[in-house]
Amino acid sequence: MRSHALAVADSLREVGGGPAIFRMFDLIKKMLVLLTVAAGLALLVNGLSPHGIPLIGQWDAEVGVVTADTDTAALWMDFELSSPQAAKQVFDAGHALFVDVRSRDMFAAGHIPGAVSLPLGDFDAMVEAFAAKLPPQQPIITYCSGRLCQDSHTVAQLLMERGLENVVVFIDGFPGWIENGYPVATP
Amino acid sequence: MDTLSRHPDAGWWANGWVDLALRWLLGGLFVLASVHKIMDPAEFAKIIFGYDLFPAVAINLIAIILPYIELTAGLALISGVYPRAAAAILSGLLLGFILAISINAWRGHVFDCGCFASGEAALWQGTPGWMLGRNSFLLFIAWSISVYRGQRKILVRFG
Repeated sequence: MRSHALAVADSLREVGGGPAIFRMFDLIKKMLVLLTVAAGLALLVNGLSPHGIPLIGQWDAEVGVVTADTDTAALWMDFELSSPQAAKQVFDAGHALFVDVRSRDMFAAGHIPGAVSLPLGDFDAMVEAFAAKLPPQQPIITYCSGRLCQDSHTVAQLLMERGLENVVVFIDGFPGWIENGYPVATP
Repeated sequence: MDTLSRHPDAGWWANGWVDLALRWLLGGLFVLASVHKIMDPAEFAKIIFGYDLFPAVAINLIAIILPYIELTAGLALISGVYPRAAAAILSGLLLGFILAISINAWRGHVFDCGCFASGEAALWQGTPGWMLGRNSFLLFIAWSISVYRGQRKILVRFG
């Protein structure tokens, strides 16, 4: 009998025996314990991890490319063309090679005249042939689908790591280009 | 069947093994769902941004903390630490997911669910209707665990 009584007591404790209000308080207390453990663990791991992100990101497209990692975004500031007009000036000067990192289908539908297609997904397969033709000082402008897209930054980073020295990102990308009525090429 | 299993408030199944199976199923799914978010919080933050529902100041915090809530509650369910509280937390999360998916489906906003993996090849991605059905089913499981009054199997107690 005693063991059964203990089992009853144990079970009542688990289901929160007693008046409903106490059961509710008990449930809330346990939820807060779990949530506190989760939040503490999250902040600790995020602070220690190399993949950790700042507590506040850059999510205003008016300011620049949206990203969770504001530290990296700040480093990129010197390597960005932050307006379609600036990109057009570079385009008109005629020295830079525009690199479209969007998908092949999007490139085929329309791109900046003279641009070459180097989709991020095909980068590894194409980069050898692409880089072999270019001197390290070749000015390169990467672009993708605007300020909600980071592929152009990723490809720019990869090209820099391949030894190309003059790579910048046109952050407004193809949408910013066509919004200003600039010329568009189709294959 | 003992006295506790016949408690009038017991779940309709009144079976500790069924409760255990549901706890492990739901807990395992949420642990699985948390992994890719924890591995790449920056990518998960972009997915949250894509929902277009949250203030900019909260997006990174959600991306950092939400996966660990899923992980902690999932592990709690599996191990039997505060299972009712864990199920209640996951019920809250699932209600939030259902609300977010419904709002975006209603306004025709295209978004990446980010539920179990990111990108076009995401497992269980599906249409908004499929996502709502799936989350409603998981919410039913979480509710079932919350209201179960029988004796649970494999339980860790404190105090």
